Parts: sequence; structure tokens; C-alpha cells
Amino acid sequence: MFFPTSHPWADGETLGEHLQQRGVDRREFLTFCGEIGAILGLSSLLTPKIAKALTQVQRPSVIWLQLQECTGCVESVLRTSEPTIGDLVLDLVSLDYQHTLMAAAGDAAEGALHDAIEKNRGSYVLLVTGSIPMNEGGIYTMIAGRTVKSILEEVAADAAAVIAVGACAHWGSVQAARPNPTGAVGVSSIVKDKPVVNIAGCPPIGDTVTATVVHFLTFGRVPALDYDGRPTFAYGKRIHDQCPRRAHFDAGQYTQVFDDEAARKGWCLYQVGCKGPACFSPCPIFQWNTRTSWPIGAGHPCIGCTERHFWDTMTPFYKRLPAVAGFGVERTADTIGAALAVGAAAGVATHAVATSIHRARHRKLPVAGQGQAPPAEPGPGAAPPSGKEE
Amino acid sequence: MTNEEGGRVTERQRRVHVDRVSEDLLRGEIVPEAVAEEAADYRWVYLWRWPLRITHWAAAITITLLVVTGFYIGKPYFMTGGEASSHFMMGWARFLHFAAAGLLVAAAIVRVYWLFAGKKYAKWTALFPVTRRDWINLFKMIKYYAMVSPERAPHYLGHNPLQQVSYALIYGVVLVQIITGFAMYGLSNPGGMIYGLFAWVGPLLGGWQTVRFVHHLITWIIVLFIPVHIYLSFRADVMDREGEMSSIFSGGRFVRSDVVYEDE
Repeated sequence: MFFPTSHPWADGETLGEHLQQRGVDRREFLTFCGEIGAILGLSSLLTPKIAKALTQVQRPSVIWLQLQECTGCVESVLRTSEPTIGDLVLDLVSLDYQHTLMAAAGDAAEGALHDAIEKNRGSYVLLVTGSIPMNEGGIYTMIAGRTVKSILEEVAADAAAVIAVGACAHWGSVQAARPNPTGAVGVSSIVKDKPVVNIAGCPPIGDTVTATVVHFLTFGRVPALDYDGRPTFAYGKRIHDQCPRRAHFDAGQYTQVFDDEAARKGWCLYQVGCKGPACFSPCPIFQWNTRTSWPIGAGHPCIGCTERHFWDTMTPFYKRLPAVAGFGVERTADTIGAALAVGAAAGVATHAVATSIHRARHRKLPVAGQGQAPPAEPGPGAAPPSGKEE
Repeated sequence: MTNEEGGRVTERQRRVHVDRVSEDLLRGEIVPEAVAEEAADYRWVYLWRWPLRITHWAAAITITLLVVTGFYIGKPYFMTGGEASSHFMMGWARFLHFAAAGLLVAAAIVRVYWLFAGKKYAKWTALFPVTRRDWINLFKMIKYYAMVSPERAPHYLGHNPLQQVSYALIYGVVLVQIITGFAMYGLSNPGGMIYGLFAWVGPLLGGWQTVRFVHHLITWIIVLFIPVHIYLSFRADVMDREGEMSSIFSGGRFVRSDVVYEDE
């Protein structure tokens, strides 16, 4: 569909046959299967299994819903400088409905959606990009006169698997940042009766989406997920723990400002606000733009885009910690803490002075040799240590 | 020491001198400043047994270390030069931080055990103003420290109600600090035991940066607590002259026999 071809993937034709038609030879295909296996963290012994499963896959029906979003995720997943087999697989499986890219429009497009649901009830994969606005009855994003909430509910009801691609579908992203005027939420807030795979990121890396779809096609189920519904094969480690600049972090070598000597030497970006220590993502390994580079590789700190609410909790992007609300723009916790500590020290000192003034006025301590003290009865002295608690 | 004629003092002369000074002391003719205005009868009470004292000093040392290394981890105030391979500055700071955290948790476990196994003054009930009288005395203590009524402080052997409240709060604050700290520590090994125990903290607080932020803010609360705690302890020692400072080293205090203690 995306590449003009004289060989569309026909019903009844397996993926293996179709790739052959498209000029992909066996060697290239096995290499692709090995790469995907590596991304999924599978043993190379399983490569033949992936290859076998993929070649036998009948044309799967994938419906791609685009809701309240910027289309950046579609760009990330589909546009690369050179189309890979992974793109081809994705392009091919994304056939039935993708309203930005499909040729059909209007009634024909909506008809394609309903045909796909009717024909593949219970067996299609649903990919979602974009959030769902909930305020004012969800009127902030409407497609074909319906709110996206009702469209998502209808399409998700019969899906075999739901894959939420990107930060918007994950939790709402920038639309859901404070004050969240449209009441945007992610897919997992609407679809509660089946597991939702969150391919987190703003945008996510295309390989992660491909690998998740391949996992589903190969094993018939979604990969293992973490507490936030993200596949652990991709989101199982922090950026911080995979970072090529980690040695500089451990050594105590930090970039202070973006144009200093340390920045030129490629030192750690911790002090300019890198959120790698708080962010689970495969960026350092998978990288971007057909493995050309990635933000930290290009000298920019991580902004933590694979984490929920990152617009609110990871900002300011160029500071280590969030600003303290109610204390003006970007007033840091340290400024306030130091002020309070000075205040406490001053308070203690004042109290000590007040105490000694009070003492000097009200308590006359006897001074040695002057005999001002009242004569004391020579008592029995201190009681011997009792040695036990009351 | 020389005698009146300028010669050396014999052992016998020295003893006579000491006896005379002691008699003067008893007659009240010489009262050293270190002894209170009234030479009252004192008795010794044993308050803090060794588990409590050990946990106190373990906490004091580890918290100091944790604050120093923690502020370095939060904002590295030393930098190294040259090759990364020849330094391990942050690595050592983090190692010390985590090692001290482990010790603090060990001390906390002993303290929690002692909250139940300890006697009256170390028990968990000593952390909360439980009786009506304690609540009244809480406000009396506040008035005392605010110098509204600086002469009338309720006397307690163990924790006074204001101490009870503030120690209960600081225990709670340190507990939150331990939980947020271990939650972040677990991130380096997802799937590990510590991650498994504490991974719920991130989603609960709304993200790992928020966890980091809370951990950082609580550090400041602890930093604020330390000077106030030390000041008030020394102040009590100076004002009451009942060996408050000594009790955290020796476990006991000399207290006046004629004072009625609210918690005795």
C-alpha cells in the first residue's frame, strides 16, 4: 500500500511467499529474523522458529487508529532513510485502516474499517497512536462525526491485541500535561478488559514496534510487560545503565554548560539535566534513524520521554530536579532548603541568646568561694545506680 | 603543687587539702558553677540501654555520611580531570551512600525491634503522646520553648511530649527516605530483589523524577532536624543540669530526687 507495487499481499498468500514476490531473498529475510530475535532478547537458536512462523503468517489484519496526536509516531515508525524489511513487514500488516496513509477517504475509508472489523473479528491487531480526550464528552477529537473514545471502544472490543504506540497512546503526552485542558488519557484508561502493550516514547523507536508485532505474529501473544505495560525486551533497562558516557558519570566528569570543554570531550550530561537515571528506554542500543545516532550520542541530555507524565515530572529538561511549585519559576529545592537551613541555624542561635538572657535575669548561679548558695543539708548523696529501667 | 612555704606537697598534705575543700563544698561555702544553685539530692536513673544508644549513634554517623554523599550525588560539587578510567569519584560516593544506607536500615531494624522489646522509655508508646496529660504537656512544652512560660516545663525522664511527636515524625520521614532511596537503587537492576520490593514507589508518586525530588526534599528536612536536635539537647543539659547529654553516652542520668517526673 505504501510502496506502489504490482504484487499486493493477497489473501491466502503467506508472508514468506509475498516477500519473495517483493524481491526479498532468503538470506536477507533470515538476517532480519536474527536481528529481531536479538532485539527481543531471544537466543539465536530461535531464529529459525521466527523465520518459520513469519513465513507461514497469513496476511494479518492490522487496524491503525490515529487519535489526538501529532502524527510524529507514524513518521518515526514508517519513515526511515532506507526502507528495511521491518518497515516492509509493518507496511504490509498495516493494510486495512490507517487514515493518514490510506488512499481511500470519507465513506470508503470508514467502510474499510468496518469491513476489517467484521471480517477479522477477534483476530486483528489494533495499533493506536494518540490520546483520547475525555472532557466535554470527548468532543475535542472527532473522526467521521464520532468521538475517538467511542471509535476506540468499538475497535478494541474485538481486537486480538492492543498495542499503544507513543506517549500519547501510553498516557496522553503533551495534551495530558498540566492542566490537561481536554482531559486526555491513554489507551489503557479506556481499554481495561485486555492487556495493552505500551510502546512508550515521544516518539518511540520503530524497531520496538516492529519487534512487538513480530513477537505477536511468531508466538501468538504479546511480549512480557513491565509495571507500566511496556515490553521488557526494550524497556527493561535504564538509559543510565546502558549509556556510553557512563564511565564519565562514575569518574565524576560532567558537562556544566553546553559549550564548555567537558561538552566537547563528551563528558556526562548529568549536570545539564539528563534524565537517563529515571528513564527506561532502549535508545542507547537501538538508536535512531537506521542506527545513526541518538540524543545523548549527539550531546543532548535525555528528556525521559518513555516515562509517564514526563512533561510534568521531567521538566525543566535542563535541570536535575523538578522546580518547586509555588516558589516562582524554577526555584530549586536546594535554594529553598539552604534558606531554611540558614533560617534554622539563625533560629537556634536566637533561641540560645534568648535563653541565656532569660537565665541571666532569673537564675543567679552561685560563684565559687562567694558562698551565696543556701546551705544544703548534707544528704545521703546520690543513690547507687539502680541498674534497671523503671 | 606547692605548699605555703614553697616546698613540695607531701601526700599527707594533699589529702588534708582535699578533705578541707570537700568539707567546704558540703557546707555550701564553695559551690562550683557546674553544680546547680541548690545542692539537691541526685539519684541515678538508667534510661537508654545499649541497643538504643548503638542505634542512635549508628544513625547519627550514617545519616551524616548519607547527607554528605547524597548532596554530592544530587549535585556533584567536585570534578575530576583526565581520563575517566583513572577516577571513580561518583562511584565511591554512591558506594558509600549505599553502604551507609544499608547500615542505617540495619540500625532501623534493631530500633523497630526495640520499639517492642524495649522497656517503657524506648517502647513505641514513648513515641506518641498517649494520655490526656501528655497532650496538655505538649502545649506546655511548646509554651516553654517559645518562652511564653519559660519557668514551667513539665519534667519527663524519657521523651517529653514534644520530643515524642518530633521523633515519631523524624522516624516516619527517615522511613520515607529509606523507601524512596531503595526504590531508586533498585532501578539499576530491574528484576532484582530490591527492584521487586520497591518498584511500586515510582508509579505511586507519579514518576521516578518525583521519587528523586521527594528524596532530595526529605534530605533537607533531616538537615534541618540535626541542628535543632543538638541545640535542644545541649540546652536541656545546660538548663536542667541533669545530664541529658550524658544519657545518650552512658545510658543514664542523674536526676533530682525532689522533682516529680510525669512519666516515671
